[in-house]
Amino acid sequence: MAKPRPRVKLPKSVSVGVPFTVRTRITHPMHTGLRLGRDGKRIPRRIISRFVVRYNGEETLSVDLERAVSADPYFSFEMAVQESGEMEFEWMEDDGSTYRLSRRVQVKS
Amino acid sequence: MAGASLAALAAGLAGFRPVRIARAANETSRAIAAFTKGTVPAEGGVLLEVPEIADNGGAVPIRVSAEGARRIAVFADGNPSPGVAVFTFGKWITPAASTRIRLAGSQKLIAVAEMADGTFRTTARPIKVTAGGC
Repeated sequence: MAKPRPRVKLPKSVSVGVPFTVRTRITHPMHTGLRLGRDGKRIPRRIISRFVVRYNGEETLSVDLERAVSADPYFSFEMAVQESGEMEFEWMEDDGSTYRLSRRVQVKS
Repeated sequence: MAGASLAALAAGLAGFRPVRIARAANETSRAIAAFTKGTVPAEGGVLLEVPEIADNGGAVPIRVSAEGARRIAVFADGNPSPGVAVFTFGKWITPAASTRIRLAGSQKLIAVAEMADGTFRTTARPIKVTAGGC
């Protein structure tokens, strides 16, 4: 499998207290463990089971995913901040493999 | 020949499906009880947005939201296992999120929200799926 590639879309600059949208996605097959491969054997379960977003070190959103979340897990949400900061995104697989991304959010003065 | 095996397959599926869904429905109430620690959630106060009909069960867009929620869990009572996702809302966020999910067939989706005061709210939405995606 190709290495999962995380992607995040959010505005580079935002206004104090004004909600903005964050869109996230990671390329990942989310193998349920129910399907059979071409060789007729069961494809082992392999999913992203946890997704966490932090802003300046504080947790903004966390998601516990089951295998019913589609391949290439996508999440979007809205948030509003008071100060510029560093946004961190973390995707964790069942086996502990972790994929990270971070983005700077600038608050317009 | 091909017709006969197709008929056998259809008969096999027809025999298998209801059993699986009945079991899953029972599992769903247990999964919800596990999330609420046995509390029966009150109806309303949580919004679950789903399309009425989904052409592709492999990626059905959904959105959950609940003013004042700490967590929202989503369950699908016609899937091989009922759990879909649990969202935990922290700082800065509006308690709402969108994602895409897999549904095995037409069924009922249930959202359960844990509010800041520790109470639970729930809402359910039926959904028609024309091509399953599990």
